[in-house]
Amino acid sequence: MKKIFQIALGIIAAIGGYVDIGDVVFNTQAGAIFGYRLLWAIPVGLLGIMVFAEMSGRVAAIAKKANFELITEHYGRRLSLLTLVASLVLTFFTLAAELGGVGLVLTLFFDGPEQTFMLIGAVAIAAAAWFLSFDAIERVFGYGGLLLLVFVAAVIHQGPDWGAIGGGFVPEGDNALLYWYFAVGLIAAAFMPYEIYFYSSGAREEGWTEKDLGINRANAIVGYGLGGLLAVALLITATQVFQPEGVDPSHLSTVALGAQASFGETGLLLALAGLLFAIGGAAIDTCFSAAYNLAQHQGWEWGKSAGRPRRWTATWLALFAGGYAVVATGIDPIELTEYAVVLSVVALPLTYLPILLVAGNREVMGEHANGPVARVLGWAYFGVICVLTVAAPVLLVATNGGGG
Amino acid sequence: MPERSTACRASGRHAALAAVVVALAGCGGPITGGELRRGVDTLGATAAEGRLVALGVAQDRTKTTFVRTAARDLADDAQHEAEKLTDAEAGPRTAGARDDAVALAQDIDSALGDLEVAPADRPGARDVARRLDALSKRADALAERL
Repeated sequence: MKKIFQIALGIIAAIGGYVDIGDVVFNTQAGAIFGYRLLWAIPVGLLGIMVFAEMSGRVAAIAKKANFELITEHYGRRLSLLTLVASLVLTFFTLAAELGGVGLVLTLFFDGPEQTFMLIGAVAIAAAAWFLSFDAIERVFGYGGLLLLVFVAAVIHQGPDWGAIGGGFVPEGDNALLYWYFAVGLIAAAFMPYEIYFYSSGAREEGWTEKDLGINRANAIVGYGLGGLLAVALLITATQVFQPEGVDPSHLSTVALGAQASFGETGLLLALAGLLFAIGGAAIDTCFSAAYNLAQHQGWEWGKSAGRPRRWTATWLALFAGGYAVVATGIDPIELTEYAVVLSVVALPLTYLPILLVAGNREVMGEHANGPVARVLGWAYFGVICVLTVAAPVLLVATNGGGG
Repeated sequence: MPERSTACRASGRHAALAAVVVALAGCGGPITGGELRRGVDTLGATAAEGRLVALGVAQDRTKTTFVRTAARDLADDAQHEAEKLTDAEAGPRTAGARDDAVALAQDIDSALGDLEVAPADRPGARDVARRLDALSKRADALAERL
């Protein structure tokens, strides 16, 4: 049982990337529009984030450095400041969207004014972040988010065409730019920078050492694997339920309908509860990530395990308040994540390069430096990240923001 | 809800830059057949989704608060599409289809409004599901004309 709880960090970090408010809708749309044909994109991103998460946790355990400490050390003042600003803006707007998402799910549960539920949701999540220990946060929101496994059960319940699903994992070409737009989006979802900031800082919060390298591997493989599995399940459910009906998913409620189709009200409630924990976890994930980054860049004391250091704590509380103020304006949270993703493009390569450099450095990592497999995969995926950085804005313009 | 079609909002992850590009490229002029078709497709998808929500009520497989909120969101989408189409300038070739699309949007809004008002009424929901099914087919037929 103790071992099961040790992969909570990987699960909550992966949930922040794979099943946050923007991605649950995006994955569902991909299935509703293209059926199984885009399934291959999910494992492509998944393997990449597993490689980088493992490296990042290993660096945290051996070099005792979190991601933004590496960035501050490896880049000059201007470049590290640029990375900080890009990451802060990205995480702040994503946080705002997640807080709005919590309010939307509460509205689906209880009905009533969205703004009221957004306030209640923001206060509840901030209270959880304040009162719960780091371990408890990981476990409550990480394992609560796994209620979304109801979508895996829904896939099986629908009696899927396993041959067609298998075929979806084989990449195929397509002339439609919209297809590639979705493919790039599904791969990029795995690499959202705040996932890795949270993961590496979380490893430091938990005080990982050399003896925790096995736990790190388990987190990278099982934790992120579960995140990828949820993304696959959402896409398949959408193919089974929405594509034949001609539904174009655009609301959180649409996503939940996929589970209701198989298990009625029970499925619906499990899906909504899973969304509540997943999106709430993503809110804490993004909020803490932004506070970690600022503190690590400025050299402040940081982390819940450090006993609520004043400046770090004030930063994340201010971020929560600011995030709520943004959604209180009435902006659509799902649309807000779309805006935020644009900013992640700048931060992507700048976030991942220092991990690769330090993890491969024998002077720092000694015998735990990258071996040949990690080195080859790491550089190959860094190439993929660079391609995503260029391709995402080009496809964005070419497809009119995915509108076709 | 922000000023944007459902389909565009749904699939546009990087909408900010796209919005800038569209703004720079310049918008305006009469609505084209392609734009009208996208609007009608959105309406068809809204009707189809509303039908699934209504069927959940008819089969007693859902939760009232969920139905009311989902129906309200979808009705807002339909109403928004109706407003957008009404405001759009139409040329002689598209004027008739534009008017048909506006009427379609209003009918979808009305059916979803009925579901929102009585989210636990199973016979009523069965009727709404039938109406939305017919409206979805009407959207398909209209889209084919464009």
